[in-house]
Parts: sequence; C-alpha cells; structure tokens
Amino acid sequence: MAPANKPSTRRTPQVRLRNYDSDDYCEFELLGTDVSVANALRRIILSHVPTIAIELVEIERNSTVLNDEFIAHRLGLIPIVSTDVGILTSPYEANDDKQCDELEYELNVRCTGDETMDVTSEDLRPHNSWPNALPVGHSQRPQGSAAQGNAADERPIVIVKMRRGQELKLKAMARKGTGKDHAKWSPVATARFQYRPDIQLDQDALSRLSFQEKESFLNSIPRGKMIFRLNPHTSEIEVNDAEAYLFDRQIFERMEEFSLPPDAITIRPLPDYFIFKVEGTGVLPCATIVSMAIDILREKLAVLHTEVQNQENFAPMLSDAAA
Amino acid sequence: MYGGAQAEELEYEAEEAVDEEIRQDDSWAVISAFFEEKSLVRQQLDSFNEFISSSMQEIVDENADIIVRPRSQHDPGEDEVEDKEYHVHFTQIYLAKPTLTEGDSGETSPLFPKEARLRNLTYSAPLYVDVAKIVRTTNPDGEVNEDENISEKVYLGEVPIMLRSTYCSLADHSERELQELGECPYDQGGYFVINGSEKVLIAQERMANNHVYVFRKSQPSKFSVTAECRSVVEGSTRSTSSMAIKMLSRAGVKGGDGQCIRATLPYIRSDLPILVVFRALGFVADRDILEHIVYDFGDTEMLEALRPSIEEAYPIQSQEVALDFIGKRGSAIGVVRDKRIQYAREILQRELLPHVGVGEFCETKKAYFFGYMIHRLLLVALGRRDQDDRDHYANKRLDLGGPLLAQLFRQLFRKLIKDLRYYVQKAVDRGRDFNLTAAIGKETITRGLKYSLATGNWGMQGTAGLRAGVSQVLNRLTYASTLSHLRRINSPIGREGKLAKPRQLHNSQWGMICPAETPEGQACGLVKNLALMAYVSVGCASGPVLEFLEEWTMENLEEVSASVIPQATKIFVNGVWTGIHRRPQELVTTLRKMRREVNINTEVSVVHDVRLQELRLYTDCGRCSRPLFIVEDQALRITKEHIRQMSAEVDGEEPLMTWSRLIQNGFVEYVDTEEEETAMIAMHIADLASARADPAHAYSYTYTHCEIHPCMILGVCASIVPFPDHNQSPRNTYQSAMGKQAMGMYVTNYQLRMDTQGFVLYYPQKPLVTTRSMEFLHFRELPAGHNAIVAIACYSGYNQEDSMMMNQSSIDRGFFRSIFFRSYRAEEKKVGSMVQEVIEKPDRSVTTGMRHGTYDKLDDDGLTPPGTRVSGEDVLIGKTSPLPEEAPGMAQRWSKKDVSTSLRNSESGMVDSVMLSTNEAGARFVKVRVRSIRIPQVGDKFASRHGQKGTVGITYTQEDMPWTAQGIVPDLIINPHAIPSRMTIGHLVEALMSKVAACRGQEGDATPFTDVTVDNISEALKDLGYHSRGWETMYNGHTGRPLQAQIFLNPTYYQRLKHMVDDKIHSRGRGPVTLLTRQPVEGRARDGGLRFGEMERDCIISHGSASFLKERLFDVSDAYRVHVCKDCGMMAVANLRTQTFHCRACKSYDSVVQVYMPYAAKLLFQELMAMAIAPRMQF
Repeated sequence: MAPANKPSTRRTPQVRLRNYDSDDYCEFELLGTDVSVANALRRIILSHVPTIAIELVEIERNSTVLNDEFIAHRLGLIPIVSTDVGILTSPYEANDDKQCDELEYELNVRCTGDETMDVTSEDLRPHNSWPNALPVGHSQRPQGSAAQGNAADERPIVIVKMRRGQELKLKAMARKGTGKDHAKWSPVATARFQYRPDIQLDQDALSRLSFQEKESFLNSIPRGKMIFRLNPHTSEIEVNDAEAYLFDRQIFERMEEFSLPPDAITIRPLPDYFIFKVEGTGVLPCATIVSMAIDILREKLAVLHTEVQNQENFAPMLSDAAA
Repeated sequence: MYGGAQAEELEYEAEEAVDEEIRQDDSWAVISAFFEEKSLVRQQLDSFNEFISSSMQEIVDENADIIVRPRSQHDPGEDEVEDKEYHVHFTQIYLAKPTLTEGDSGETSPLFPKEARLRNLTYSAPLYVDVAKIVRTTNPDGEVNEDENISEKVYLGEVPIMLRSTYCSLADHSERELQELGECPYDQGGYFVINGSEKVLIAQERMANNHVYVFRKSQPSKFSVTAECRSVVEGSTRSTSSMAIKMLSRAGVKGGDGQCIRATLPYIRSDLPILVVFRALGFVADRDILEHIVYDFGDTEMLEALRPSIEEAYPIQSQEVALDFIGKRGSAIGVVRDKRIQYAREILQRELLPHVGVGEFCETKKAYFFGYMIHRLLLVALGRRDQDDRDHYANKRLDLGGPLLAQLFRQLFRKLIKDLRYYVQKAVDRGRDFNLTAAIGKETITRGLKYSLATGNWGMQGTAGLRAGVSQVLNRLTYASTLSHLRRINSPIGREGKLAKPRQLHNSQWGMICPAETPEGQACGLVKNLALMAYVSVGCASGPVLEFLEEWTMENLEEVSASVIPQATKIFVNGVWTGIHRRPQELVTTLRKMRREVNINTEVSVVHDVRLQELRLYTDCGRCSRPLFIVEDQALRITKEHIRQMSAEVDGEEPLMTWSRLIQNGFVEYVDTEEEETAMIAMHIADLASARADPAHAYSYTYTHCEIHPCMILGVCASIVPFPDHNQSPRNTYQSAMGKQAMGMYVTNYQLRMDTQGFVLYYPQKPLVTTRSMEFLHFRELPAGHNAIVAIACYSGYNQEDSMMMNQSSIDRGFFRSIFFRSYRAEEKKVGSMVQEVIEKPDRSVTTGMRHGTYDKLDDDGLTPPGTRVSGEDVLIGKTSPLPEEAPGMAQRWSKKDVSTSLRNSESGMVDSVMLSTNEAGARFVKVRVRSIRIPQVGDKFASRHGQKGTVGITYTQEDMPWTAQGIVPDLIINPHAIPSRMTIGHLVEALMSKVAACRGQEGDATPFTDVTVDNISEALKDLGYHSRGWETMYNGHTGRPLQAQIFLNPTYYQRLKHMVDDKIHSRGRGPVTLLTRQPVEGRARDGGLRFGEMERDCIISHGSASFLKERLFDVSDAYRVHVCKDCGMMAVANLRTQTFHCRACKSYDSVVQVYMPYAAKLLFQELMAMAIAPRMQF
C-alpha cells in the first residue's frame, strides 16, 4: 500500500473486505479513491438502500395505554427482514404496469392474565406471500436465511405493554422505501468511514523521555495504550494500532506538556485510504447493504452519464476525461 | 492508661466508630428522612390541617353567642311585661368526609377528587355545628325560667377540602389504592378542586405584627425618626391597630420647642405629646415617666433628648387633664367633659396597643411598652442603633392557606351570625318562635368560600379590601411546575413601585427562599419560591411558653420596679413585653434545651438579643424556618451511628431513626430567620473538623449550628439545574422559569384526566446528570426532557442567533415527539324555567346560526366519537337551544339556535376520549378530549437546563449531519456563540459529565457545592478513550471531509418547551372585523389582522411612502364611503338605488359629494353629533 503523496488523477478504487461474517456488522477498506466517492457511498448506505418498513396501520381496536399514533410510530420503527426488497415496488416506482407492493401484517392480542403482558414484534402475523419479510428476531425465521443469530440477543421488540382486559387489534401494511423519506427505512444504525492515520515516530526525539515518562505520557493520551505500545525490551514507543487514533489531537497537547518537539510524533490522515464500518439493524446483512449501495451508486452514475451524454455541451469535457 | 489487653483496644475502636463525625454525604440520609416525613407541600397541608382542626372551632367560639330580646313594634325601646330573652349558642363543629349530593336524585355519596375534577364539581365536605337555643323568661315576680333546646349537627355549609390533607378522602391510602382511585401517586395534593379546576392558595407575604419598627425619615419630612407598631391581638378578628411615635426633625421644629416626640394613636386626629399619653395612662410624675423610657438615669444624653417633650407637656399635669386633652382630639366632638374622658379611657384601653391587653388594668404594661417604643426610637435618634430593616425576613410573615381561609371563614361566619340575628330578631319581634335549622343560612359559607377560591378575590364579594390572585389555577404543565406553584410566595406590593429594595435578595432569605427562582419583569423579586427545606410555622399557643417563663422566675412587669430594668433582660413573647429576667443566659439555655427535647414546641423561636438586652420568643404562625444540625463543642451532635440507624430498615418496618426522632433527640432543630441572627452556622461539616483541628485559624470557635447541605438553599426549579454553581446567576433564574414550560409527564394519570391543555412527551428520559435534590422532586420518575447528543458547532449557518439544527432522522425515530391534549366541554344549561339546551346533532332545517365547520363527524347523540380525525372548525359537540315561539299562526322557520362547540380553528387532531356525565345540577355534562401528535419541526422551541433556549432552524437527516469516526451523529447542533457572553459553564460541565455517565452507564452527580471538579471529569473521560475535554474530530456530512475545528460533542439534557410554531403561525388576507369600528379583529384565535402600529407607521412616514401608508391604514383596514353635503359639511342621506342624495340639515338635494374615510372617523363624527357637536367637513 503506497501512501499517495501526490493525488494521482487516475484512480483505481479497490475494496478490501476485513470483517463481514456477521450480519450486523461489516468493516472494509476503500482505497485508491478520494473522499467524495467514499462519502457518496456512506450517504447511499444511510439513505438510499431500500428496505421494508410498516407504513400504514389500520387500528381496529386499541384499549392500551398508548394511543393509535404512538403504536403506529412504534410499528414503523420495527426492522423487517428485507431480503426480498429487490423484487418489491415502492410507491415511487409504481406505475400503471407495476403496482406498489404492500405487505400485510396482523396483530390481535388481548391480555387475559393478571401479569403485565408484553405485545412484541412476535405477535405480528404476516399475512401474505412474503414469508421472508418478518420482523427481525422473529421466531418464525425463514429457513436458510443467512444469519443464525443467537436467540439471547435477538429478543423480540416490545410494542406495548398490557394489563388485564386491554386489547389491541390492527392491520399493518409495510412498503418498500428508503431512508431519505423516513429513518425507519434506513438499513443501518450507522455507517461511517475514517481516514487511516499514518503515524511516524521520531525515536530520537522520544528517547528524551525515560521509560516511566513514556509510560505516563501514553497514559495521559486517550487510548494511548491502544494506539501505541511500550516495548519493554527496547523501551521504545511503537505503533500498536494506528486506527485506534481518532484524530482527537490531544496527543499534541501532551507532547508539549512533556516538552517533546512537535515532530517527535507526526500523524497525518492518508487521503485515499478509508476504513468503512457499517452497523446494520438486522434488516439486511451488512455485506449486502454495501453491495447494494455500490450498485445504487453505479446506477446513479449511469443515469448521470447518460444525462450528461445527452447534453451536447458536456461532450467535449467527457471525451477529455475519458482520455 | 490502657491495660495492654486487646479487648481494651477493641473497645476503644468501637467507641471511636460511634463518635465518628458524619461526612457531607451522610447529610443526604438526613435530607431523605426529612422528605420522607415532610412532603414538598407540607406547608400547605400543615396549615390547612391547622385551620380545620383548630382555627375553625376557635372562630365559631369567638362569635358563638347571639342574645335577642323582643322589641315591641309599636313602642320601641320599652320591654314587654314578660321579659323574654333568646340565646343562640354555637358549640361543637363537625366536618364530614367530602361528599357529593346529586342535583337530580338528591342522593349523597362520598366524593373523590377524580370525580370532582372530571365532573366540574367542588371537592368539599359538609360542616355541621351543635346549636343551643335557650329561651330565658323572667316573670314579673323575678322568677327565671330557662328552656334549653339543643339542635345537634345543624348543617352550616360546605368547606372545600385540600387534597391529601387529613380530611381528604385520599388520606391514608397506599400508592396502589390511589392508583385504583384514579389518582397519581406522585401527586402530593396541597390544592383544592373548585368547580373541577385545581386551585392553589399562594402564600401571601406581609410585615409581622406586634413588632416595633424604627425608621429614619428622609429629610423633607416633618419627622426625623419614627417608631411604629402594628398591633394585633393573638388569634383575633380585629383589624390591625397601628400606632406610631415620631420625633420631630430639626426642620420641623417651630419656635422655641426642641425636637419633641409625639405619638399617633388610633382614632385620635392629631399627634399627642408622649407625656400626655403617659399621664393619661396614670403616670403623672416626670420621674415615673422617664423611668419607663430611659431605664437608666445615668444616661444623660437620652434624658436630654427627652427634655423638649417634657417641657411640651408641662401644662398637662394630671390624668384627668391628659384624658380630656386626648378626648378633645377624638372623633366625638361637642360632648361633655365626662364623656370625653370616658371616650379617651376607652381608646386607651381598647385601641392602644391591643396586643398588650384590652382588659382593665393593663395601663402598667401599656406604659412600659409605650416607653419601650420611645426608648427604641431614641436609640436610633441618638445614633446608637441603626434603623430597622424593612426587608429583613425576620420581619416578614407568610399567610398560607390556613390563615387565609381562617380570615375568610371568620368574615363569612360573622355574616352568617349577623343574618341569623336579624332573622331571629324579626321572628322574635313578631312574637313567633323560630326554627334554628331553617334560620341558619346554608349558602353563606358555601358560596363565600367557593367564590374566593374560584376567583382568587380574597374576601367577601362586594366588600372593600379584596385581594386578587390569592387563589390560582394550579399549573399542570410539567411536574416541577406544579410543585413550584405549590411553594410560591407573593408579596402584595404594587408591581409598578419603582422601589428596588423589596425585590432584592436579602441575606436573611438564605435557606428560606430560592435565590434563583423568580420571574423576570414586573413581578421580579416580588414573587418568590420557598427553598427545599424551608418550613413555615403553623403557629402554636403562647400559653405554655408563658407558663414556663413563670416557672423559671421571670419577673412580671407589673410587679417589678422600673429601676431594675437596666440590669435585667426584657422578655418579649410574640412582641408583648411580659417581664424581665436577671440571668438570661441560663434561661435561654434551658429554653433551647426544652425545645430540643420537645418539651416546648419545636416551632418556638428563642432569640437572645444581647445588645438590646432582650429575649424575644415567638410562637406565631407564618415564620420561615429551616432545620440545621446542632453543634456542641465544635462537633455535630449527630454521629455516624445515627446515620446508620436511618438506613437500617428492618423488614420494611420504619427505620430506627426518622426525622421526628432526629428532632426529639436534639440532632437537628428548626431555626427561624430571627433566631438565625443569633446563631453561628458552619457551612460544611468539614469546617467543623478543621476548626477543631486548628482552632487558631478557624473561622469561628463558637459554632452553634451547621448547614445540613448548602444546596438546600435552592427551590424546586433551581434544584433541577445541574452545576448551578458554575453558571452566571441570571441563567439559573432563566432556567427556573423555563423548566416550568418543559414538556414531560405532568402526572401519571393524565389519561384519566380531562385537562383543558396537556403536554406529554412520548419518551421522556431521566437525565444522565442529576442533582441529589431531584430524588425528592421525583424528576427521575416524571422527567421532562431527552438526553440529546449535542454538538456545539457552526455547521451550515442554520443555527445562528439562538437557533439550532436538529437531526431529522432522530425526529423520525421519536426524538422529542409529544402529545398535545385539549379538552372541550359543554353542558345542557337551563336558561330560565322553560329553555333547556339539548346536546344533539343539530338539524339544518330547523336550526339557525349553524357554524362553518362540518357537523358530519357528530354521532346521533351529538358527540364526536373517539378515533375521529378532526380539524379546523369541525363541530365536536352539537348542542341546540330552543327559540321562543313567535306569535301563534305565524309560520316559524327556525325552532332552535345552534350553540355547538367546535374545534379551535387552527388546530387538528383525533378525538381521544369523550366523557358523558351530569353536573352538580343534574344536567347532562360532556367533555371531549382531542389529541394531536406534535413532531419537532422548524420553529419549535427547545432549551437546555442552563437558560440556553433556542428554536429549530433546520432539520438535517443523518447523512447530512456531521459524524465522528465512531459514527456518532449529533441530535442537535447549537451555536458556539451561545456560550461566551452567557457564561453558562454549567452547561459545558454537564455535557462533559454526561459523556462520562453515558459511557460508564451511571448517573453523574451535578449537585452544587460539592467537590466535583472539571479535572476529575476530564480525567475520567480520558480513561474512557475520549479527548479529555469532550472534543471530537468530526466529518462533514455533505463532503466527508474533516471539519477544521474539533467539536465539543457530548450528551446534554434538553427540554422541549411548550411554544411551538403550529400554535403560533398566523397570517390573514381578509377576515372578520369588529362590529363597532369595522377594523380587523385582534388575535390569532379569531383570525385577526396583524397590527400596523405606531412604530411601523413612523417608519413608513420617514420613508415618505405615503400611498403605502394609506393602503395599510385605510384601504386594508376600515375603508368606508360617506356622502357629505358640500354646503353644510354634514353627512347626507344617500339612496344609491335611486341615486337620490339629500341633506337633511340644509334640505338640499344637490351639492352632495362622496367622501372616502375610515369607518372609525365616520363613527367619531356621529358620536360627536350625538353629543351635540357638529363636525363639519369643508370642501
């Protein structure tokens, strides 16, 4: 990996996967491109990857403590496994030929016991031919679905609590949508990238500090013992995990306090090395989200490309860029 | 010394452990014990209980007797042969539990507050009294025949009952039972329910009675110094009787006399020389008189100061002459000398200083008190003492619900007695017997109490001296605002008064009154709030104290020679000089000891004023006091062991040590504002330890008390502020005001209530950073806010000037979502005997005056069912009132008039619930509650807990928000410019601590005056892997590039305030106009116009845009056309259809012109014409 000192005009973006075993988390590196692409990818992951979420709720009976709007809002936020989202049609995509798909769910619960009862996503009964579109963590998980998350951390989601005699009966309709419209369609909890820090140590300068001083120096920096390690043999500070550094710059304040020269440690972000971390909600496997995002980005670029090609004025510029 | 045995050593250790001094943290156990026993509205409940249990009976006893003799009508004045005398005597009163008597069926059943609130009833209990009727007949031969007839439990009226007082139906119910009764277990009562609305009695501040106040007068005044005393007899109805003693100023001296001292007595028109008063009281010799004033004849300076007064009174040398002198200046003019003297005697006995005594033979005491007043005046006049401080809180008393109700009840009961006497007299005069039960007016008390509580006009309707705003509607915006309202104090001083001093925080208010919580603007400093641990005395009888003093060799004033006074200490009980004592220190020590052992009431305050040689004891009601740790020998009396006993709860039973035991054992005591002046109070427990360790450098070596915790000086709203000790003080005041507008959960039973307005937050969160005091305010259980992730940054410019950016994705996920409830009510009113309104769906064919909104949402019963979406002016409750039938034979088009209730025009929502019931009269009564969901949007108002408020300037979705390398996205971005000039460091410290708290999963402690430092928090934050000052590198959401500056990104507790754009947004093109002037109406609720006021007018004038000005003020407002006769200049009659114009004044048909003028101008002209002024227009 050559640190790109001079930003080259020609880019060969690469993706290196790091950790994609879990459905809910993935980590990858994006290299050889600049922030705009990285950020575009991040934004698309957050708000353009379609998922399924409950949008319409018809309440037939509700004697719970929460009012209809409250329950509808809570239902909307329940993540629904959206592996089938690709074949669905959203209201925006609908036209005369293709109708907007609506996934129906039913909920009909009545509390008869004396104990407080939880109405959970488990009580939502899917009603139609989309057997995969179940609330995340639903016990009727379709066979062969990618993840076998352990039952302990996938407890069903509480919608409302009931006492004796209360009742909730409703019909819910889920639709395909994107996070741009409402955060409930966002496939991830968060998606972010960071620049990889490049840490250069000047051991000569650092050797002014005694072992103890080095120790306390590292202790005085947030995450100091993660970013660096103190080699007990050479009693030198070594970089342990550069990524643990969050560019908080406190290290430079501390260097001053320990009267180290400013170049004893230099840290700079690598401009074309991005570490992406995506935390899913269980709606889609994170790896899928990312690949969908890339597809969407490509699609968008393709649309842009054709649009631009149609505009004659841009033609010379385009040919220039292609060269 | 030690036997060397190990056992000894152990024993030593054990002893050490027992005597171990408590630490500051332990004082929280004590504070908890306090609140365990005394809820936050204790003052209200205590004072009401006192009213019911004793004041009411006392008032009845005071005015218990009516004696009526028949007067024959034809020959008034002459008694009949048989001497008959009717006595009516009131004895025992009884108060039942609150009940309700239905208007239609007449059934009586117990009443609970929930029902009273819902059905707009009054939560009151019937009052009964035993009345004896005695007819005493004296035969001509002197034989007395007595016929006694006792009516038991005669109904007197209804007394509104304070919720959660001992007489409330909710008393002694467990939390569970309260819930079953539809009450909120966190609701602490302390208010009344009058016609369904909750009313609080605001404590009224006043000057203390029976005190001698000495003031210097500023100079153009005739007098240089005055001593005043507003005297009131303990527990009496009589209005205050003020008297004053005044010393003439040098400028006021005319001719040869020096600076005389004069006295102003009640009912005496002119000021009297003081010696005349003495002589009238029976002290004739100068020496005698001087003894009562100066005490010490070695004090020549003071004697000299009295010389002019003595000379002035020289001509009057006997009691008779003095009395005559006074009598001449009384109100009785032109009567004989004997009558005058008698009159003067009575004035002196009854009206002069009545608190000293109104009986006979009080002259000695009165003379002493009178002399004492002069003494005090001279001390100031001679510059030996400062004048008294009017604003010192020891000179203030708080009238709480109890005394206020007692005052009202007294008036009403007297009226009842008066009416009864009148009735009885009338009956007796006619020679008829009377029925007591029928004779007692049942409505006087019921109506009178209800009227005052409902309107806040304190006093009987129609009488003078009505005080407004005493009873207020309980604020139910958020739980803290309710609590704070119940602890409010009002000073009835004119709001316009420019005098700043009564508004300023006074040193003596420390610990009694919150230094932060007061409104801004006109009422600033006049409306106050009690500090958390402040206790207001309910008053106790002075009898036991007097008895005790008698026992402890107090020398009674009447038996003592004046010459011993200089050597002794004067003893005052409730302002009355009762005696002297030679060894005051001993007496004080014993008194305090007795009080600490609860042998005399803990409320009694013992003030030993060494300088004045006075011992003042107070037992009256309305004094502010607060508990303090008792210190003996520079150490607290309470030890660690007692703290342990407090927490040691065995099997759910009461712990060994409770608050009352702490009092009984003399570990804590109540110290009132006046006694506090004689105490030496350590601020922290540690101060005592350091004083012991190093006495040479100690602040004091005579500590008598220690603060329980300094943060207890704050009130309810200020206790919610974290780190208030890091803020600029006005910011705490601002937050104290804003905390009352925050949405949260105002009561847990909000779904069962039909409040006219209610705001409830979807997901209220308890703050990450709390104060210890919040525990007692139940802020964790009923919070009002969210822990928002807040970035202090400039991001795109949409957070300038106190606006803020909000994360739309967070909003989507439920951030600060809230519900707004509004209830509408209607009842089938009965107008007259025949006209009865009906709740129904109005029929368009027979009903006139139907509204704009749709009636389609009404069911057949005339009500909108729950779950209906309503908006605009939709009709919620359909109601009609029958129209009177017109002349028979005429075909009547309309038989009914529409009187429906429709939704407010700017609101929309869902019908949440409908309540159908009957009111007190038995008529149908309906309430409809509409709910609407309020999602944060641009323009809504939010605030942190540090007086930092702002409105939303823009909402950005998650991807547009800046983010950190950990993927954290702020919920809120506020502008850095909000910080430096406002100096709300507490805001930043709270944020920093919140981050630590969030990472550790523990609450942060932000109690003021503790030893938490920013460095501690920073260190903890660093250890958690964050920048120690809470900074983070963030990336621009639009570009992905790192932001130049590091951002202060931390969680901070934010509140959503009730001001929302949707309730404010308003615009109008055309719309309704007022009837009279035809100018647009005012206000959003009526779709009114936007005022183009003077200042706007000035702007346009200075711009020179005349035609725009004309458009604004005329065309767009009340343009009108009139026809004017050119000849006479008066308005003419125009018939536009026939195009005929006619001037009535000059009888001409031509020369009429058209004039455009504002309708208001036309109106003015016509009004002038009505006043026989002819405004003529010239052309």
